[in-house]
Amino acid sequence: MTSPSLDLALSIDIQLCFEKFNLVIKQDLSLQGITGIFGHSGSGKSTLLRAIAGLEKDINGTIVLNDTSLINSKNKHFIKAERRNIGLVFQDSRLFPHLNVLDNLKFAAKRCKNRRLNFNEIIKLAELNNLLHKHVDELSGGQKQRVALARAILAEPKLLLLDEPLSALDRQAKTRLLKLMLNIQNKLQLPMLYVSHSLDELQQVCDKLLVLSQGKVIGYDGIHSMIHQLNYTQNNYTQNQYAQNNYAQTNNFIHQQTSLSLPIKTLNNGHGLTTLTLNEDTEIYLPALEENITGESLTGKNLRCFILANDISISLTEPINSSIVNHLFATISTISTVDNKVFITARCAKEDTEQEFFVSISAFSQQKLALEELQNVYLQFKAGAVRTYLY
Amino acid sequence: MINPDLLALFTTLKMAALTTIILLLIGTPLAWYLAKMQNRFKVIIEAIVALPLVLPPTVLGFYLLIAFSPQYLPGQLWQQATGQQLAFSFSAIVIGSVLYSMPFVVQPLQKAFEQLGEPLLEASAMLGANAMDRFFNIVLPITKASFITAASLGFAHTVGEFGVILMIGGNIPGETRVLSIALFDHVEAFDYAKAHILAISLLAGSMVLLASIYLFNSPRKKTINRVSK
Repeated sequence: MTSPSLDLALSIDIQLCFEKFNLVIKQDLSLQGITGIFGHSGSGKSTLLRAIAGLEKDINGTIVLNDTSLINSKNKHFIKAERRNIGLVFQDSRLFPHLNVLDNLKFAAKRCKNRRLNFNEIIKLAELNNLLHKHVDELSGGQKQRVALARAILAEPKLLLLDEPLSALDRQAKTRLLKLMLNIQNKLQLPMLYVSHSLDELQQVCDKLLVLSQGKVIGYDGIHSMIHQLNYTQNNYTQNQYAQNNYAQTNNFIHQQTSLSLPIKTLNNGHGLTTLTLNEDTEIYLPALEENITGESLTGKNLRCFILANDISISLTEPINSSIVNHLFATISTISTVDNKVFITARCAKEDTEQEFFVSISAFSQQKLALEELQNVYLQFKAGAVRTYLY
Repeated sequence: MINPDLLALFTTLKMAALTTIILLLIGTPLAWYLAKMQNRFKVIIEAIVALPLVLPPTVLGFYLLIAFSPQYLPGQLWQQATGQQLAFSFSAIVIGSVLYSMPFVVQPLQKAFEQLGEPLLEASAMLGANAMDRFFNIVLPITKASFITAASLGFAHTVGEFGVILMIGGNIPGETRVLSIALFDHVEAFDYAKAHILAISLLAGSMVLLASIYLFNSPRKKTINRVSK
């Protein structure tokens, strides 16, 4: 069922006016794999997705997908949602209540004009075999979203939009659906635009990340690089709050973190830890991952993981007598202080390769250790601080 | 010769069936429009549709009688098109019934369409379903109970009509003499035995129809409820 890789060029130049905010987006996106759209509530990310889908009609501007103009307000050109061949998985599933699971899936397959996918294979891929004759009311939240995802895929869109599909699910269901999304992406090479306010979810599956704030694009880059740029945005955000004496504003823009994609060296080293390789020979440990349910070997594959800046501490000497398993030799690149918090970037380098780490410590610790830029230190963090959703 | 009461029953059923069909055909798009409409004219149209609920039937009948007479435009146009007078005809009582029973069909449908909202329509559009496809395969099956309620109420209300028909239809056997008028005739003639038969029949028929609607719409079968979960 593997399809040829589909790369799409999406060119957006739109304005939408609402009572509380204006959405002004001018951005070209090259859609391969999964592109994340991140922003807080009211940032306009769902509205942007609805505009691409064809569900928002009062738009000024243009949206072009490859060479097809989806909307051009000057020419009063508007392709209806049902003719765009774009799929959308909603936050609330939106399964048809008068149909069972099988008929919901058939509804999509019947309306697909050039059927290439094998219906039964998609059912198997989404693990829906045992649910086909159930009424949609009988399904759990996670099951509903798996049906919604399979249903969207069976319409065989050229672009799949996902609007916070995991937000109502528990951790276990989230993990399962994230894995399913990756699996589908690998097998079908279907470009996806995935909207979420959870950076953790996006970090796990996206290749690129578009960030919106108050109706505007504030960044678009590869996932790790974009998250690292957001670490600085968070600093400025906090600084502004202090500058404005806005202490009541406690929401973080993001949790500052180091975003990684590292090869798995050993899945279980015999002590309940999985080993990842950093810069070819440095080892990073995390709690042992489970073997892939599909039976594929995970060893050698890259693992998406992240370490929160608050979870890394700094030592001036190698902490060999500590229970903390991860300690990396690094050089401090920058130090910035906001109120009593110190934000440090440090590089672990070896020959041509290097990895930047982000650390947050108290001003008290910084003074005690007399940390300076270009100083060599040890970064230390527990295995449990290396987080991943996927296994 | 056919029993006049049976003839009245036949006329009544024919009038109610035709009225219900016409009401479903024009009431559905009207209800859809009202459910989706957001401008200030909505309340005016809603008020016009609901008017027969509060207006004495004789008021509506009086104005229709005038409109249907050959001296006025609607009556004239009808006469030119069909060669027959509109007032005191079967067509007149059907038109009168359509107007008189309109709220009983439009209101349940409007409520069902409003409750259905946009989510499922958007979901089906994203799967490639066009407007007609969405109506027949999503809206109609999900709001089926409301369609049955609307049709049954429209039918039952038309069967029970009296004032409007008396004003615009008169009492012509086989044409405009319906059950309620036949009953009135029997009472006026002090033929209470025949009046009882008609009254009991109307009472029992209406009771069975309404009970069937409530049975069909009992919570276990309300598809629309599942949408809002």
